[in-house]
Amino acid sequence: MRLGIVRGHVTLNLAVQAFLAKTLVVLEPVTMENLCAGNGLGGGKALVAIDSLGAAEGQVVAFTEGREASNPFWPDAVPVDAYCSLIVDSISIQP
Amino acid sequence: MFLARIGGTVVAASKHPTLDGCRFLIAQRLEADGSAASEPIVVVDWLGAPSGATVLVSTDGDIARTRLGNTTPARMVIVGIVDAVPRANARGGGSA
Repeated sequence: MRLGIVRGHVTLNLAVQAFLAKTLVVLEPVTMENLCAGNGLGGGKALVAIDSLGAAEGQVVAFTEGREASNPFWPDAVPVDAYCSLIVDSISIQP
Repeated sequence: MFLARIGGTVVAASKHPTLDGCRFLIAQRLEADGSAASEPIVVVDWLGAPSGATVLVSTDGDIARTRLGNTTPARMVIVGIVDAVPRANARGGGSA
């Protein structure tokens, strides 16, 4: 999983059946430098993920990529690249 | 699989139900020269890896699905804690 900051939500007009009633969030991945600085900045290339946890804008989430991102919808086939697995409460970095 | 260095711990109250009780660590993937990647990753730890340890991370979700069920989004799992990584151009990197 990588870490990302929720920057917004995506609303679809037309979508494939599998995406109905799913929440999509725009995530900005966080670099180690920004994570340590705690400056609220990301630094990575933005991507869209499915979120079932209700993450709010500005919150940091850990998201799964790849085939495992669609596991939560098993046995349904959902064309998902990224899935928000957890909402981060706190991170303690031990240098 | 790749090597990563543990940087810290993650606390998350809200998570996918299959991840309840899992220990999550922050890690940085290591390059061939020993330098760390700029983006951190979150890995599941069942071995009790300490902070600063070098670990072997598998990105195959099969072990996670075996333990946590078919619907788990867990993917990156620590499958070993590394003792030493001998490098061709760095002698004696063993048990120092």
